[in-house]
Amino acid sequence: MSTFESVAAVMALTGAAIFAAGVIVILVAAQRRPYNAELAPIKGSPAKGVLWAFTLGLAPWAKESVRIHWIAYIRGVIFHLGIFLGAAYLIATPWLAQMPESLRLSLAALFGIGALLGLAGFWIRTSAPVMKVLSTPDDYFALALTTLFLASASISAYAIDYLSAFWAISGITMAYVPFGKLRHFIYFFYVRVFLGLTFGRRSVLE
Amino acid sequence: MTGTAIIEQNKMALAREMLEKLVDRRVLAALEVCVRCGICTESCHYYRSNPKIEHTPYYRAEQVRRVCRQFLDPIGCAFPGWFGAKATTDEALSKLAETAFASCTLCHRCTFECPFGVETAEIMRVMRSVATATGYGPEMLIEIAGAAIAKEENAELFRDIFLEQVKELEKEVQDRLGSSKAKIPVDRKGARFLYVPLAGAHTIIPQAIIFNMANESWTLSMFDTANYAVFLGDTAKAKRIAHRIIKEAETLKVQEMIITECGHGYTAMRWEVPKWFGHSLSFGIRNIIEVLDEYMRDGALHVNPSTDGEPVTYHDSCNLGRKGGLLEEPRRVIRAVVGDFREMTPNRLHSYCCGAGSGLVAVPEWTDIRLQAGELKADQIRQTGAKIVVTSCDNCRFQIGELSEHYGLNIEVTSISELTAGALA
Repeated sequence: MSTFESVAAVMALTGAAIFAAGVIVILVAAQRRPYNAELAPIKGSPAKGVLWAFTLGLAPWAKESVRIHWIAYIRGVIFHLGIFLGAAYLIATPWLAQMPESLRLSLAALFGIGALLGLAGFWIRTSAPVMKVLSTPDDYFALALTTLFLASASISAYAIDYLSAFWAISGITMAYVPFGKLRHFIYFFYVRVFLGLTFGRRSVLE
Repeated sequence: MTGTAIIEQNKMALAREMLEKLVDRRVLAALEVCVRCGICTESCHYYRSNPKIEHTPYYRAEQVRRVCRQFLDPIGCAFPGWFGAKATTDEALSKLAETAFASCTLCHRCTFECPFGVETAEIMRVMRSVATATGYGPEMLIEIAGAAIAKEENAELFRDIFLEQVKELEKEVQDRLGSSKAKIPVDRKGARFLYVPLAGAHTIIPQAIIFNMANESWTLSMFDTANYAVFLGDTAKAKRIAHRIIKEAETLKVQEMIITECGHGYTAMRWEVPKWFGHSLSFGIRNIIEVLDEYMRDGALHVNPSTDGEPVTYHDSCNLGRKGGLLEEPRRVIRAVVGDFREMTPNRLHSYCCGAGSGLVAVPEWTDIRLQAGELKADQIRQTGAKIVVTSCDNCRFQIGELSEHYGLNIEVTSISELTAGALA
């Protein structure tokens, strides 16, 4: 392992450690907040509500908003799938050399598309007046990091020599997650569970 | 430090203290999960009728988020410029109060249109609480809530007037039913139902007719179900207002409390009250629509279509439907009593707010705002070709009546109870 590869590996591992610690701190802090549970007698089914929240409740065809903004929605979905796939790819990279070339090249293409969609995110954020006004440096930095993460994933899948760059960028990205906008993924599960519990109990979602 | 500066500082401290207390797990998740993707933009009836940045759900939520970041998030506080954190100032609070009260009806529609499910309405509800506690609550809503509390404090003074009014209403019910046996019972212990109306004969007479026709064991509440402290986010006052009726139900030992067609009144009593008091109540709570649905199902009422073939549509009250779970019950009742029922599009979970929810209807300064926000609803009604609009909330009813006048819809607005009472065979 070259010095750069060693440094990159340390960066990735350090980033992963900060990420893990950060997620734990966020979860503990969130759990410390009060929880105003519904106490009224049940009318519907909270369990069915939660199931709905993670299935039909996410169905794009059921949302008028998605029908209007289908391009932005598809961009977002592919971009996020790319990130999750990129995270799985990161875990698999120590065995990258053993990965079939066809799979590596397919992944390179997928991550490449993800990175392009990340760049499109900059265009969307700066061209829509409302989003431009509301965007903070954190928004742009988070988008830049994830776009770089996908771009470096793509390059490393295509040319294994660049794996160290992907590790280094992954380390920085993971380390930033607990501090900025990227932590929203943790709360996604909270929001969906609360939505399902509350409105399922009230029989709104049946 | 001057006196004004001290008051100012105390106010800001109170705002921070309240936010710290009220941002529970559900609200925190709503604040943190929004990525400002903009997909919810058109889901808001305010934005659709007046497309400006302040009317987007994520703009509203973002304003609160930035204030919260300043002290709920140590990183946001350390790097306010990077994360857009804002100091809690008098100006910021005043603006937030305006946003929470006058440009969001807490209808929850954007929640179901958001890919994540951000509950902007919950964020705005918290903001309303903070605004009220720090002196930015709308005067009219505060007065109405205060009047409800005063009625309880002076219940004996009101009792005689109330009983007199009930006697007059009872006569009207007897005339309509052609029977002197028809009654509007008051203070009847052990009745099956305590029926809680709103101020106004239209929420008593049709229901009294129905209860009498169904040979129901019921008694009329002395209080009305409206709870404007809910709109203010003032839980202490809301509890007091609700407690009047709870005490009445417990004293009379009724089996169930039946709430009239009032969106917030029902949702507050059915779903929020147990949270406020920390326990469920000793009696059941249902809406009159659920009772009507039960009567129809059990054959306790015999009805003939009452609208002479006029097309009828139904407006889903956000509180009863999207937040209260009464989506099919009203439809079943309406279908049983009208010949030509037409749905608005979209409806049920995705129905648009009429524009007057969460207290907007009560504040005269907001008339123009709510009439503009109701434009979408007016268009929806027009598209159905309906001549009669049925709604299950009195505030929606008032608003739709005004929308009819404002947008020249030429429609009649009525309630499910009135429609049913008119269709009794």
